[in-house]
Amino acid sequence: MVSDNFYPQPGGVESHIYQLSSKLINRGHKVIVITHSFKGRKGVRYLTNGLKVYYVPFWTVYRETTFPTVFSFFPIFRNIVIREQIGIVHGHASLSNLCNEAILHARTMGLYTVFTDHSLFGFADAGSILTNKLLKFTLSDVDHVICVSHTCKENCVLRASLDPLMVSVIPNAVVAENFRPLSHESIDPRRDSAPGPPQPLGPNETITIVAIMRLFYNKGVDLLIAAIPRVLAAHPKVRFIVAGTGPKAIDMEQMIERNMLQDRILLLGAVRHEEVRDVMVQGHIFLNPSLTEAFGTVIVEAASCGLYIVCTRVGGVPEVLPNHMTEFAAPEEDDIVAATGRAIAKLREGKVRTDLFHGQVKQMYSWTDVAERTERVYDGVVGAVGSEDFYGGDAARGHPGVRSFALIDRLKRYYGCGIWAGKLFCLCAVVDYLLFIILEIFAPRSRIDICRNWPKKIFERAKVKNTRPAEDSDGMPRRRDLRH
Amino acid sequence: MATVVAALHRLSAPPVQTLRTLQPTQATVSYTVSTRPEATTVAAKLRFYTGITLRMLLALAVALLAWTRWCAGRETPAVALSWILGHARSEELLQLVSRLPWRYLVPACLCVVYLALRRGYTVEESLLVLRGLGLQTSTTSSIYLRTPTTRFIPTPSVQDIFIHEAFKGFEVRFYLAVVVKGEEDVVVVFPRLLPNRGILEDVWRGSRRCLWEDTGRGKGKDRGREDA
Repeated sequence: MVSDNFYPQPGGVESHIYQLSSKLINRGHKVIVITHSFKGRKGVRYLTNGLKVYYVPFWTVYRETTFPTVFSFFPIFRNIVIREQIGIVHGHASLSNLCNEAILHARTMGLYTVFTDHSLFGFADAGSILTNKLLKFTLSDVDHVICVSHTCKENCVLRASLDPLMVSVIPNAVVAENFRPLSHESIDPRRDSAPGPPQPLGPNETITIVAIMRLFYNKGVDLLIAAIPRVLAAHPKVRFIVAGTGPKAIDMEQMIERNMLQDRILLLGAVRHEEVRDVMVQGHIFLNPSLTEAFGTVIVEAASCGLYIVCTRVGGVPEVLPNHMTEFAAPEEDDIVAATGRAIAKLREGKVRTDLFHGQVKQMYSWTDVAERTERVYDGVVGAVGSEDFYGGDAARGHPGVRSFALIDRLKRYYGCGIWAGKLFCLCAVVDYLLFIILEIFAPRSRIDICRNWPKKIFERAKVKNTRPAEDSDGMPRRRDLRH
Repeated sequence: MATVVAALHRLSAPPVQTLRTLQPTQATVSYTVSTRPEATTVAAKLRFYTGITLRMLLALAVALLAWTRWCAGRETPAVALSWILGHARSEELLQLVSRLPWRYLVPACLCVVYLALRRGYTVEESLLVLRGLGLQTSTTSSIYLRTPTTRFIPTPSVQDIFIHEAFKGFEVRFYLAVVVKGEEDVVVVFPRLLPNRGILEDVWRGSRRCLWEDTGRGKGKDRGREDA
């Protein structure tokens, strides 16, 4: 798996890569993560479960997508790929330079590539146009794309002009065990106790509304700032907890002071990821006024903690949770106030069984399931699953299935990217190919030491054998390498 | 085309590294990694000694030349020279030599001496393990007559020996390292040659066995590390 985003830097993509990798390792694959070096973290590291991470030292400016950087990554990338005997390269996050480069190089080396998109982008402004062009460059020669939600898929297909059949949707997941509601701790987890009768909140009990977000414009902080005083004015027995920090924190504080709401709003500032659950369980309702969101992991986490969700109907949010857990609003002030009011009323009447949310979320989202589905994508890409199975009966006709690695075919695909861009991309691809040939001559494969694999636990191997008898009968060792 | 590629392959190939193990007793073992081709056949041995002799002769000749030039610079006649060559010929030689300016002679001489002293192979690195005492790493210098750089680590200071990987230039290389108590950095064994994994694993296994076999320490403790 290749991405610029990985631990120790915190974030959604980071945890996605980590969780997916460890689950894939459990399923008997070999997973390598390649990322760039962070402050104080460089070289080769092992994480839990034998996940190997290469923190590639790079002296160039990172966030810039400079063309010299494009090729300078190749020798080291090739070295890693060969020594680890990588078969599939899986890039994450479209803004990650490393991921784009890795996919280009992997195709040059004749490896299968998969790409996961984690975010939504616009089409209009200059930055988006550039990003979209870059994405198109990468994706015009990728084997398969994974998106985290259907909205994200739509966005991605439009941005990179992809064949929708090439794009799969595999949602994110949450580690439900880390997001347990308060009451669950007292109950024996092994015993599936029948849910008791609903316990409606009395009209005089205080309802706590939690909002956790980085305080940026795109997270809808302005909406939140406008809505909070109105909600508090309409419902006397309600208080807010707002956690997170960002450029809009000052606005938030000003709003509190202007309306004299210090005793009803608790500002927590930055909260670490492992503490998020402790904040969430203090509340009854989770308010997420985001303006754009590809998936919205935080909503799932909140629901798993047993909170009723009020959120805006944007991006991939509506697909994430079933209707009985959420109250939707349009991304505008009035509607959010109204939706929050509805949610409070429902809670007071005891119409929502928030105590059951945890179990339901646990069934809906699990990383094991994500890993299984990702594995199927890998199988489809390498041709282990027939293209008819993989793309659906009708679609398989006319679909080339596995994409050809021949340089001329790749150039054809790149050429179609645009009048100027197409030629530029072709040039890049050709230079990359020449570089590949030079490397093959001056640093041939035979001279690169092959790594040993992390010793697998025996019981895991036995488990894999049981679940995949067909694979083993082929006599093919089931080792697949991925890089995030 | 294929021959060109093959020639380029050969040209760019690094010298072959060989591992020589010397274990006189159970408690002592010495590993030497070298790029020097091992002289086993008579011809190879002959070539090796001829090379050494030639180098010595060359260095001697250069020294003689410098000495003659020095003699020519002095006004007094060189007794030793005229005694060897005879008076007339030594005069002739001195005149010839005195035409050489010092300015060029000295750098040229130094250059030739350096080349004569340089080792044909690049470097030789070794690890000597003595049970109960410690281990010593050493790297020969690339010139004859200069002592190798050595480092001795006593057993109580040796915390661990492991194989790990690191980025080096445009590639990832394996290295064998010794963790020394009280030091921030590890001591890399074979720092210049960085031999391949096969050699490193042999050395790793052997030196652990030699150091800690009796106490049973580290027997399975770091199995994972090796695979790392």
